[in-house]
Amino acid sequence: MIIISSAIIFIFLTPILGEGYESSWSIADSGVESDLLTATTDSDGIIWVFGEGGIILNSSDMQTWESSESPTTSDLWTSDSNDNIIVAAGSAGTVVLKSAESNTWTSYTTPTATDLLGVAITGEGAVVAVGGNGAIWILENGNWLDRTFGLSIDFNDVDFEGERGLIAAEEGRIFGSEDGGLNWEERDTPGGLTDSTIISIDYYMANRGYAITSEGQILKSTQEGLTTAVGYNWLLVEIESEGRNTTLQRQISSMEVLGTTKFIVAGPSGYIALSKDGGNIINPQLLPVPNDFSINDIAMRDAFRGVIIGEEGTILWTENAGEDLAVGFEIIDLTQFNEFVDFSKDNLWQGLKATVKIVGFGILLGFFIGVTLAMCKTAPTTLKQIIEGNLGRALYFFWVFIPVYSIGGKVLGNLSSGLFFALIVTLISWLAIQKYNKRVIAEAFIENRQSSGYQIPEKYRINLIRTLGVSILVGLPFSEFVINGGFVTFWQSISDFRSLDLTGIEYIFAPVGDPDAFFNFLLGIALIYLGMLFITFKGKFKKHEFSYGFKLNPWGIRPLASIATLYTDFFRNTPLIVQFMFVHFGLQIGKHIQGAGTDLFTELYILSGGADLFIEYGIYATDAPALISKTHEFVFSDRAFLSAIFALGLNSGAYQCETIRGAIAAIPSGQMEAGRSIGLTYMGTMNQVVLPQAIRICIPPLGNEMVNLVLNSSLAMVIAYTELTRQGKLIIAITFQIFWTWGMVMVSYFVVTWTLALILRWLEDKTRIPGLGISGGA
Amino acid sequence: MSEVVLSIADLEKMYAGGVHAVRGVSFDVNRGESVAIIGSSGSGKSTVLRCINRLIEPTAGVVKLGGEQINTPYADVNDIRSRIGMVFQSFELFAHLRVLENITLGLRKVRGMSVEDANEIAHQVLGRVDMLDRIHAYPGNLSGGQMQRVAIARALAMKPEVILFDEPTSALDPELIGSVLQTIRGLADEGMTMIIVTHEINFARDVADRIIYMDEGLVAEEGPSSIIQNPKSERMQKFLSSINEEH
Repeated sequence: MIIISSAIIFIFLTPILGEGYESSWSIADSGVESDLLTATTDSDGIIWVFGEGGIILNSSDMQTWESSESPTTSDLWTSDSNDNIIVAAGSAGTVVLKSAESNTWTSYTTPTATDLLGVAITGEGAVVAVGGNGAIWILENGNWLDRTFGLSIDFNDVDFEGERGLIAAEEGRIFGSEDGGLNWEERDTPGGLTDSTIISIDYYMANRGYAITSEGQILKSTQEGLTTAVGYNWLLVEIESEGRNTTLQRQISSMEVLGTTKFIVAGPSGYIALSKDGGNIINPQLLPVPNDFSINDIAMRDAFRGVIIGEEGTILWTENAGEDLAVGFEIIDLTQFNEFVDFSKDNLWQGLKATVKIVGFGILLGFFIGVTLAMCKTAPTTLKQIIEGNLGRALYFFWVFIPVYSIGGKVLGNLSSGLFFALIVTLISWLAIQKYNKRVIAEAFIENRQSSGYQIPEKYRINLIRTLGVSILVGLPFSEFVINGGFVTFWQSISDFRSLDLTGIEYIFAPVGDPDAFFNFLLGIALIYLGMLFITFKGKFKKHEFSYGFKLNPWGIRPLASIATLYTDFFRNTPLIVQFMFVHFGLQIGKHIQGAGTDLFTELYILSGGADLFIEYGIYATDAPALISKTHEFVFSDRAFLSAIFALGLNSGAYQCETIRGAIAAIPSGQMEAGRSIGLTYMGTMNQVVLPQAIRICIPPLGNEMVNLVLNSSLAMVIAYTELTRQGKLIIAITFQIFWTWGMVMVSYFVVTWTLALILRWLEDKTRIPGLGISGGA
Repeated sequence: MSEVVLSIADLEKMYAGGVHAVRGVSFDVNRGESVAIIGSSGSGKSTVLRCINRLIEPTAGVVKLGGEQINTPYADVNDIRSRIGMVFQSFELFAHLRVLENITLGLRKVRGMSVEDANEIAHQVLGRVDMLDRIHAYPGNLSGGQMQRVAIARALAMKPEVILFDEPTSALDPELIGSVLQTIRGLADEGMTMIIVTHEINFARDVADRIIYMDEGLVAEEGPSSIIQNPKSERMQKFLSSINEEH
């Protein structure tokens, strides 16, 4: 049985399957070993790759590549294409060109044979090439035009959109042309770029321009209004994914713009990243090649398909804009039961742990309160016994303890210090009295007399009791240290009630309107009654007999039993769900206990040498000992938890009290007599003789009560404590699988209560006394 | 030797509702004496016994133990009770404890002895009542006679000044009565001060130094055990003859 229930629990422990990401770049076979330096896509979707030694490769499917005959052996560093021509340029002024219809490549060389770093085709079909030392050459109809305008900085890249062109230059400078490259002027760039080199510059259609610097910065240009075209105003992009930095803090060497806000940047050390929002978020991508792989260029056929090329003939292609593929992440089909269980079992496990937590504490608290109340209710000490036998104690309580408490509280400022002070004073003086008593007994012993310590002589008793009665009624009415007697307390409570301004039957709610007044009301009545009783004491403990045969025995009142009855009557006559809400939202018990507990643990933390704030926004100081922070986290971190165990424990205690009282009553009175006749006190007999036997009797009904507690713990959901039932609600909110969810919640509860029942069965067996009682069998 | 251990004067017990169970009983018990109280049911014998150790509070009268009055409100009841031993009709062993622990509970908790010392005394008293062989048994596994002997041992262990027996053999069948009566006789021979309420007239005659015959809450006749043979009062004659008819 235990195996089955633990197997059910174990199912919930099955770990989640492994998940991860894969690169969506695949390696293609280029067929060559030389470095590939530049790539471009033509209007037919064919990708042309150029490289070292003038290599020309092409592919229509990005995976199979064929080599074209090249008219040059110079390295080709840059390329461009339009509907009619494909062009590449490179070292020593070489330009190779092929028209779209033909298959042959023609080679041209600039008159000065300068290294050409960038090439682009204008809207008119002219080829503009730029290079080191400010070289600008335009090739049109086979003729070269020198448009250098006297600068000696390197021009790294050029791009054209129609007749509008942009040049990327050293020193963070950008130049623009409106006339197909004939005339150029400088454009504004953000300040502070003078140390950067703008390596690459691109138009995207007519409404976006992007540029990148060697430092990893990205520049963006947009159309400003109707008057300023793209390319005039450049801004550094603040990259949110780099913490709003304006630089990627790495070298990048190429960029390909795929859309108005979509671009890919690449660089050495295998860096390739995609942005889909104009540079706000730049996501690096995985590559299936070693980390030191240098990417030289990117060419995309459309927004998703393209290649990256690099050293040693490496070509990688993607159909996904290179975005990493999620692997092992199953798209959950929540109409499949196994997938639903996988999805929700984590939540249910959390809920189960939370339920077991409050049930455990609730049972303990409830049992403790139940036993205490049961003892109070069965305590035989009557008022008469207190006055007769323990007059000294009663006098001490009313004339020493209460005044010290009250005065101490007022002097020290708050009632708890007063209480503390009073307790200390009581303890010390009580010890002194005991010592005196022992001396009296010892002296009597020497004189061969028996003595039980100092006794108040008989003749003073009656007057002392009467004076006690007066003091209870009147209190200490003078000076600033007023202690209110019965009359004043009662009167004050009545006037407080009056000031609530209720009418007629509304007064039934007065205790809620003014709880202090209600307490004073009850206290006042009790004090007045006690006081009158004591004042009229004539030495005999008489019973009142009223006219209609109604008898009242005031001296037979058992004070402890009365207090316990008040408690149980309240908790058994109000619903648990309302008690939960009252305790958590009304009294805010959870908040107060949490505050007190955190204060205590902060003290412990400081004592252990901690120097920081113990806890801030739920995070513990790093130098807090694990024991302290873990204990605090387990017990005090959740207010709803504290309120829940408080409410559950108090409520359950009231019910358990009745069960335990019944069990105590089932023990034959002879056991109490036997215990008392060997000299044990009432409490001693209770603890040693009656309760051990009574507990065994009350295990089955208490088991019932505990099962009730487990099931009632589901009501903690109303105070936002995430136990099983609330987890069920949350799961339904996400998955809408109502039947399955509640079914699984019910199974979980069953497991918890059944385990509890098994534990109790074991407990019953273990505490069985041979030969005692009928419990199965002959 | 004729020191008065227990003295009862004008003891009265009136229950609410008007039942006058004890109407004025007085007697003394000397050290080493065993007093048997006999009488028919409802004569107040057990009530008198329970009034002595205040399990029932007398409504009037004075009970003195060793010269000091014990039925005052401010006397230490627990201390008094530890000096008076009691053996009940229904044995009243602590059912959840073994025999050894039954004996040592009072010694450990009331006298504050250590476990070893308490165990030693327990062994002694159990030897006296001849129950050493069942020292680790639970009361539920013992026969009636064995239980009663353990109860006697429990009372003895506290070294009381007087032991009260409340009809010790009334719940036992004739076979088991013998062992208990033997034990009690042994105690009497050793000089234990005892008050025994019993229906066993023959036993009372053999063991008791004095016999008190109670009837309707009063002491009807009192005297040495020879009064059994020669009862003076008519009531006692009637009582004895009714018992003899049964036998």
